[in-house]
Amino acid sequence: MEIFSEVIQLFFSVENFLAIAVGVVIGVVVGSIPGLTATMAVALALPFTFSMQPIAAILLLVGIYKGGMYGGSITAILIRTPGSPASACTLLDGYPMAQQGHAKKALKAALYSSVIADFISNIALIFFAAYLAKIALNFGAPEFFWLICFSLTIIISLASGSMIKGLMAALLGILLSMVGLDDVFGSQRLTFGSYNLMDSISFIPLLIGLFAIPEIIEFYRKKAVPHIKAKASGAGLAFSELKRCMKSIVRGSLIGVVIGAIPGTGATAAAFISYSDARRRSPNKANFGKGEVEGVAAAEAGNNGVAGATMIPLLSLGIPGDVITAIILGAFMVHGLTPGPLMFQENLSLIYALFMGIMLSSVILLVVGNVAIKYFSLIADIPKPVLFPIVLMFCVYGAYAVNNDTFDVGLMLAFGVLGYIFNRAAIPAAPFLIGFILGPMFEDNLRRSLLIGSNDLSIFVRGPITWFFIALTVGSIALAFYRFLEERRKTQDKASKTS
Amino acid sequence: MTTSDPKRRVKIKDMGDVITGVVLFGFALVLLFYLVPNYINEPPILQNPMMSPQWLPRIVGWLILLFSILLIFQGLLVSGPSEEDERMIEKGSPRRFFMMVVALVIYVALFESMGAVFCGILATLVLFVAHPVRTWWVYSMAFLFPIVVAFLFVEVMNVPLPMMPFWL
Amino acid sequence: MKNIFTATCIAACSSALALGVTVSSASADEWPSNDVRLVVPYAPGGTTDVLSRRVADLLQQELDANVIVENRPGAGSTVGTGRLARGGRDADHTILMASPGHTIGAAIYPDLTYDPVDDFVFLQNMIDIPNVMVVPADSPYENVIDFVEAAKEDNMTFSHSGVGSSIHMSGELFKTLTETNLTAVPFAGSGAALPALLGGDVDVAFENMPTVLSHIRSGDLRALAVTSAERSEYLPDVPTLSEIGEYNLDQFITTAWFGLIAHSSFPEEAQSTMREALANVMEREEFLDFAEQLGAEPGQVAGEEFKQFIADDLQRWEEVAQQAGISQ
Repeated sequence: MEIFSEVIQLFFSVENFLAIAVGVVIGVVVGSIPGLTATMAVALALPFTFSMQPIAAILLLVGIYKGGMYGGSITAILIRTPGSPASACTLLDGYPMAQQGHAKKALKAALYSSVIADFISNIALIFFAAYLAKIALNFGAPEFFWLICFSLTIIISLASGSMIKGLMAALLGILLSMVGLDDVFGSQRLTFGSYNLMDSISFIPLLIGLFAIPEIIEFYRKKAVPHIKAKASGAGLAFSELKRCMKSIVRGSLIGVVIGAIPGTGATAAAFISYSDARRRSPNKANFGKGEVEGVAAAEAGNNGVAGATMIPLLSLGIPGDVITAIILGAFMVHGLTPGPLMFQENLSLIYALFMGIMLSSVILLVVGNVAIKYFSLIADIPKPVLFPIVLMFCVYGAYAVNNDTFDVGLMLAFGVLGYIFNRAAIPAAPFLIGFILGPMFEDNLRRSLLIGSNDLSIFVRGPITWFFIALTVGSIALAFYRFLEERRKTQDKASKTS
Repeated sequence: MTTSDPKRRVKIKDMGDVITGVVLFGFALVLLFYLVPNYINEPPILQNPMMSPQWLPRIVGWLILLFSILLIFQGLLVSGPSEEDERMIEKGSPRRFFMMVVALVIYVALFESMGAVFCGILATLVLFVAHPVRTWWVYSMAFLFPIVVAFLFVEVMNVPLPMMPFWL
Repeated sequence: MKNIFTATCIAACSSALALGVTVSSASADEWPSNDVRLVVPYAPGGTTDVLSRRVADLLQQELDANVIVENRPGAGSTVGTGRLARGGRDADHTILMASPGHTIGAAIYPDLTYDPVDDFVFLQNMIDIPNVMVVPADSPYENVIDFVEAAKEDNMTFSHSGVGSSIHMSGELFKTLTETNLTAVPFAGSGAALPALLGGDVDVAFENMPTVLSHIRSGDLRALAVTSAERSEYLPDVPTLSEIGEYNLDQFITTAWFGLIAHSSFPEEAQSTMREALANVMEREEFLDFAEQLGAEPGQVAGEEFKQFIADDLQRWEEVAQQAGISQ
């Protein structure tokens, strides 16, 4: 009872409420600007938290984190420019929806699934932190290696159209991810002596270039068509549609929770895994990638499911799972608090107050998101000849801001041209992106396992977690192969019938 | 690529795929036999070939080679499905395309030396003229947005952008 | 269009509310006649960044001028540092937060375009963070001697946060001095490296003090030694490596140092103003509290002494890099 009143006292202050609200607003706005990520916003806000009360300080940063996770989806849907890496998956269906005049529906679907996923993730944090933390600690390099192998199989399900081109795109992505300094020996790989390439290719310019720029190039290569004045933002999301997506949202959230609890995988991978899982199970499989609400919902559920769960290793083990939680860890330490098992003994009331704030942040996200949609969805009504030059300007500013370097501006435009060529050659960009993200993780964990096991290959089958993921990987490939044969038979049947 | 004449399409089912395949085939050869051995250093002592920095790039190279051959065959034998239509676009005037390229070049070449605001205004104007936008007041946006956004980046969010032309 | 503008305004106001619009104030006569730029050669969020932003905040009050933090990450810290070394029009108002990456980077990157010692003036060493040699709680090794003897027999592994980090190079230095069979296992950052150590996948690590302090206190990790010259006040019972007295370990004294440097053309007047301001910053309660929370000790050296310290540091890492075969 004593702790209860203490928690209430700690939590119910104007400063805390204000911190969460301001944090979520900043997060949504910054997250929606291409190139400015939630990571950057959290880092930039950190110095301002030095003088705040510890709980308010952490809640401000958590608010930015959660807002940013959602905010990235806004521009992904409206202008095909992922505001943050994790929302790259959202645009696969979100942008086609906006093009078909369902911008508002896509934005609402993204918001509701984000909030639901966020909520589930918070529940997991509060009730299962200790249990999930244990899994995280048992996740060594070999376990990681198999998780990545399994994740790589989602390329097969994402490669719509031509399987060969999908795999080709993934290979090119993997190849590109290897530019930079080798992680084990520090030797240069395909950097051609350029210092700008030694830290490997920056993700944000690649992302903006690959998705936003080809759209602009294409627009100016096409013949000018008069703008049809119409309300393009369209209607909202019907309850029945949300209900239809519910299963995918919950599944995506759980995927996000597990991925988030394991340090070092990240929201982008979670979004893609959730998306491909939803696609595999959905009755509307064929509509995925062409503007399917469920696709938007699954992707957003995956990436927001991560947000609460990354706090699990942080709070219970003192291990930051990604850059943002590393910064939040810094904020804890600046206030003389060290997350970890000891904190649960020494500062329990503070942790509970924090949990209450984190729960509240989901609610605030819902409110702020709804307001944001009201204004942002108007972007869909701006004629493209006016919108695209301004989008390009945002892209350039954002690409520059990542490293404060014009090299990244050039890099972004180069990827824009590459993305345009991909479009023309019908090579899908999503597998390319997955290859780029997972390629280094695949190689690093393979080599790490070999180093840890002193070149003994038995380390790859050392425990139940590895067996589990080996089974998943094999199953996923077998399923894809079976589907491939099935489809082949169908098209052959069709062909013989028509002839 | 897509406007290959119909006579040839009888023989080659999907010209785009063949070209893509050939380009990637060539790229894979360059990668495997020139780039990997020359631009990836291998440490002198290796306990396991899988540890080498060249290992994965090599595998990726061979796989690209394999898939590019498959892609060429696919282009020769399998006619592309309805996606042919999606790839077809009605081309605009070369002037329109050229001005877009100019705008991109402005950003790459002048961003550091002339500052973000100047480049933003210039490139946006070029793109407006390229379309062409005929509503006169829209042109004020080309001035307003770069200035306001640069101000937001630099002053409010503390994200530096190159601000001034070099002579200032 | 009007509504978009409204939305932008709302965005602007809300951000301004939280982050605070900076207003410039400077007089033209004496240094600083302009805003001072503090370059951080790493991405936002790391120790260097957090420290720099704290220092910038305090320095601003001492100098009566804006101190703007600018991140220029890339290739260790060599991209940002290389830019400073090139000078340019505001080199007289630019300072940079250097860290072990300054010397280690120079030791392992080929064809650097600058000289890490002669191209700069060295203002003030702000803080020192010792590394701690830690093993998992269930490790059989209770002290450094046990560990070294076992590592001479068997192959052992140590985790680090990336090639060229002080954590990596400390491990390589240990390996070279004690002539043991240690294999480096790279991870992407300390956050990813820690679970491998806690879970027992690797045998030892030479982590930064703040990263592992809470785990040492909670008993999940065991500290065998600290790498600084003197025992740390945070872990008074843990010996220093140089105390061990065997296996050449008396030469093992390293800390992760953080200090401000500027281009060699940095004006004399500015140097003295800066040193005075920094000395004041380092005496302030806020700074000392901050250092304590980082598990760091305030820096000891400034000016020429600092320069000599850097030169020695560079020489040591060059030797280690060469022997470990890291310089490519």
